[in-house]
This record gives sequence, C-alpha cells and structure tokens, in this order.
Amino acid sequence: MANIAAQRIKREFKEVIKSEEVAKCAIKVELVNDSFTELKGEIAGPPDTPYEGGNFVLEIKVPETYPFNPPKVRFITKIWHPNISSVTGAICLDILKDQWAAAMTLRTVLLSLQALLSAAEPDDPQDAVVAKQYKEQPEMFRQTAKHWTSVYAGGPAKMSDLDDKIRRLTDMGIEEHNARVALSSYNWDLERATEQLFMTVMAKN
Amino acid sequence: MADIWKQSVVCRYFVNGICREGNNCRYQHVQGARQDPAPSTAAADQNTSPNTGPCRFFKQGSCKFGSRCKFRHSSRDEPAPSTAGASSSHTKTTAPSKMTNFLPENDGKEERPRAEEWVKAPEFVPSCLSAASSSTSESASTSASTSTPLSYAQALNPHGQTSNPASEPLCPYAEASGICKKTDCTYLHGDMCELCGRAALHPHNEEHRKRHTNACVKQHEVNMELSFAIQRSREKSCGVCFETIMEKSSREQRFGILPNCNHCFCLTCIRKWRQAKQFDNKIIRACPECRVASDFVCPSMYWVDTKEEKEKLIVDYKEALSTKDCKYFNKGRGKCPFGNKCFYLHALPDGTKTDVGPPVRHHRYADADIDFLQQMILWDFLDERDNRWMYSIDDLEEIVAFFSDSEDSDWSEYELFFD
Repeated sequence: MANIAAQRIKREFKEVIKSEEVAKCAIKVELVNDSFTELKGEIAGPPDTPYEGGNFVLEIKVPETYPFNPPKVRFITKIWHPNISSVTGAICLDILKDQWAAAMTLRTVLLSLQALLSAAEPDDPQDAVVAKQYKEQPEMFRQTAKHWTSVYAGGPAKMSDLDDKIRRLTDMGIEEHNARVALSSYNWDLERATEQLFMTVMAKN
Repeated sequence: MADIWKQSVVCRYFVNGICREGNNCRYQHVQGARQDPAPSTAAADQNTSPNTGPCRFFKQGSCKFGSRCKFRHSSRDEPAPSTAGASSSHTKTTAPSKMTNFLPENDGKEERPRAEEWVKAPEFVPSCLSAASSSTSESASTSASTSTPLSYAQALNPHGQTSNPASEPLCPYAEASGICKKTDCTYLHGDMCELCGRAALHPHNEEHRKRHTNACVKQHEVNMELSFAIQRSREKSCGVCFETIMEKSSREQRFGILPNCNHCFCLTCIRKWRQAKQFDNKIIRACPECRVASDFVCPSMYWVDTKEEKEKLIVDYKEALSTKDCKYFNKGRGKCPFGNKCFYLHALPDGTKTDVGPPVRHHRYADADIDFLQQMILWDFLDERDNRWMYSIDDLEEIVAFFSDSEDSDWSEYELFFD
C-alpha cells in the first residue's frame, strides 16, 4: 500500500476516534486488518428517520491511491433506501464517485452517508424498486425501511403485521430474507409477492 | 673626567630595572636600592617610588609597564619638576619633534620597541622640510601652519584627510566580532550597535552610523519577517496527506498556494490532486476542501496568511516564471499551447517578446460539447506518454532535460493552466 494512503488512514483513524460523533455514538471505525487497507465503519440511523435506532455496518476498502481516489464503501447491514442497493449494499453517492475530493476523510464520508440516510435522492437511485416506492408510496416506504431497520440493524420497532406476512411465506418454505424482499418490493401485497416468488421458483425449475 | 656630568643623569636602564653596568655605570642610579651587580637577575624591585620624570611611552598613548612603570604616568603634557636633578635632560629626549629622539644614545644598546609599538613612534619630521616651508612661504604648502613643522604624513597629504577622525577606519576585528584582542589597538573602536551587537558604529562619522543602523534595521526586519513566516507555517498541515508540512522531508517542505482560496496543502499533494485523471477537470481544478477552482498552484517556502502576502507571492512567482524561456515556445521554434496565457517567456532568439495569441483550443470529444484547453502537464506527459499527447521522442528528451535542470529551483515545474 502506498505510504501516503497508509499514513493518512492512520491519522484519520485517530481523528475519528477522537471526534465528538464517536462520543455521541453516531459513527465508529474499526480496523479489519493491520494494513489499513480495509476497515469496518458503523453509523447510527439518524433521528426522525425510519432508520432511527439502527446501527449500520459498512465495509470500507481503501485504494492504494487514496486519498486521490475515494474509498470503496458499501453497506454490509441490509437497508431499505433508494440510494443503496437492497441486494448488494452498493451506495450511490456522488462523493464516493466523481465528486470525491482529496481532503475528504473517513469521518466526512461516514457523516455524509448518515446524511444520505436522512435525505434520500430518489431521482438518482441505486435501487429502482425502492426509489419507486419512495416516490409513489412514501408511507409504505417508511414502514418498510423501519421494518428492515428493526430486523437487520437492531432497530426498536416491532411491526407485527409485516412479520405475520413474512411468516405466512416462510411457512410455505420460502427463505425469510427472500420473503421480506418480495413483500417489500410489492408494497407488502402478499398475493403478488407470493406469485412473484413462485414464478421465480418455477423459472428456476 | 668628561664623564662627570653623566653622574647627574639618571640611568634609564636602571630605572627600568635592568642596568648591566651595575655599580660601574657612569650614570646615576637614583634609587640607591639597586646595588645589584648582576644585571640579569634584576627584574623585580619595581615598587619603589615613582618620583622620576614623566613616562614618555605613556605620553604617547601606552606604556607596557602600566602601573609598575618607574616613570610618572601623568596626563599633563608639561614636564613636572622632578626630584631627579637630570630631569631637564630627560625631558629633552621626550620632545617629539627633536631628531635626537632617533639617535642611539648608548651604542645601539637601547631596548628596541616591539614591532607592534612601531606605529606609535613619534612622527618623523624632516627638519629640512620644516625649514623650507618656513622660509619659502610661496610654496604649495602655504596652508600649513609655518609655526609648527609639517609631519611626513602631512607633507604627503596636505589636506589632512587622514587626520579627519570621521574618515578614520574602524578596527576590523572589533567591527566584525565585537572583540579586539589587542589591548593597545590603534584603530578606532566603534560604539556598540544595539541591533547587531557589534562595535560597528563610527564614533565620529554620523553618515556611517546612519548607514549602519539602516542596514541593521533592514536586516532585522527581514529576519523578523522570516521568523514570522516560519512561525505561521510551523503548525500548518496539508489537507490531503494531513501531515505537518514543515515536518516533512526537506524536499517536500513546500506549500502549494491556491490563488482563489485559503486552504493549505503541500505542493506535492496539491499537484498530484490536480493531475488526477479519473475526475473531471472541474473537480481537480477545485480546492479539495472548498471546491473553489484555481487556475494554478503557486509554490511557496512558507505559508501566507494575509491577502497582501499572497498577492506579493503570486506576483513574484509570475515574475520569476516570465524570465524563463518557455520550453514549448522554444524561442519561436515551437508552439506553446498556452499562448499568451503562458506564464513563461515567449521571446525570439534576439530577445524580442512576441504575443502568440490566445491559447489553442480543441474539441476533445467530437460528439460532446466539451470545449476545453488541452492539458499540458509535465508529469502527465512523463507518466502517460501514450497517444494522449502529441509529442515525439525528441520533445520528450528535451522536456526531461528541462525538468532535471530546473528541479532545484523554486519555480520548477510547468503548471496546469486553464483559460
């Protein structure tokens, strides 16, 4: 790893650890290996959003050309958000792509991601299904995002009606996560979700 | 005997402590205490009463015997009445204008003054000259007083410039280091300059004093400015590598000043950022911190705080570049893509400056409407000499030569410049 990248990550690491956001438990960075090429980030769901109360884990890969190139960041925790892929966790955020600036740090990246959770950009989506729901059925989106937060990110909300629908599908032998994705994608319409799931099963056969 | 009269003359060797004639000396041994016939052992015994005549060495400035001198050290010029009966004959030898001064009185046995004392020897006054000047008053040296005989120096320099205390030179040792080890230095020792702590202020020459003080004040201002610059640069860290710039290796201890914002970077980092290929020009031309675009980076040894300092730095930078021949223009043989926006000198071999017109523009993408100036960065070229640049191998060698010979200068590299 280029010397400058490693040196900078070391400094940044200290910066994040000392920052007040850490004190408020809003962001966190951990080392994955000793070479500073891979880190684990964690951000708290911002208040007054469906993500409140959840903790979202991120995978941060630092390229050799850092800080002249942005770090590669993706969500490990599954999340329901128009700019984040519900499948891969890939993030659509300009500063992680063409709007990167060399003065940005792990801290500013994590804070930007936190800001992204509170202010989605449905017109520049990563996950088209989520973005469509966000625009057309905002309340349904809120419920779904909240549900995902509680299931995957340790959020507080328990939504028994949604859980029931998932259980109906898992009872039919569908894997829980697949059931949740299908239901979320079809606005928790059990019939259409079931149909879609079995269509794919049949297609596979 | 004819020597009888000598009995009344004080033996000058004896009074100085040594007379090898001992008791056989024909001159008077005044202090009576000295009966020592062995002349070589007589060294001490000097604290006897100094009631002899005035010391002639003292009168001329310094006496190496100091307080131990047998003769009277008195600042008065006229010979004081002495208890010694032969005082009249003694003072006769101290009169400076007498030729007898230089006559050996005692078969050349007289103690020779040390070489350092030579400068203090009484002025040699040619008696014929003084006689001539007094008799022939129409001669050129009429200005000289006829009452006092001319000295040799005065005869050579009738205007008396050397005697003007204002033009006398300062002791070079004292002026340079403040220390002159010679206790009897005949040069002028200047007054202490408070600024530089050296004895460099001429005691008589006001002009010299003023000049020295001004030079010192100026030097002091320069030093202060430098220490302020170092002070304000000390803590500055680069916004890209996050390192304290003054703590980096000496090669990298340089600031890259952006003209349009006040964010701090080391030159290496900001240049590297501005050469990043993976981003739009709009992004890399912008400050990595505030995204304000700047057309170029100005190298600097120190951080600049104020607007004035920064403007001065940039003006100096452009000025320095404008004296260097543009390697692209190549004294008219080549073509500079920056045109008249180039910071470097576009001059023909005979020195006439030429305006090559505005920068060359071309469409990089035929299908897009992006019209921008061709980038021309040296490192770009060195790193990626694929078909991106329209240079031949000859150009490359030339540029490499340019790069290596100007590397040590502060204004070394070509800078990205956009319209």
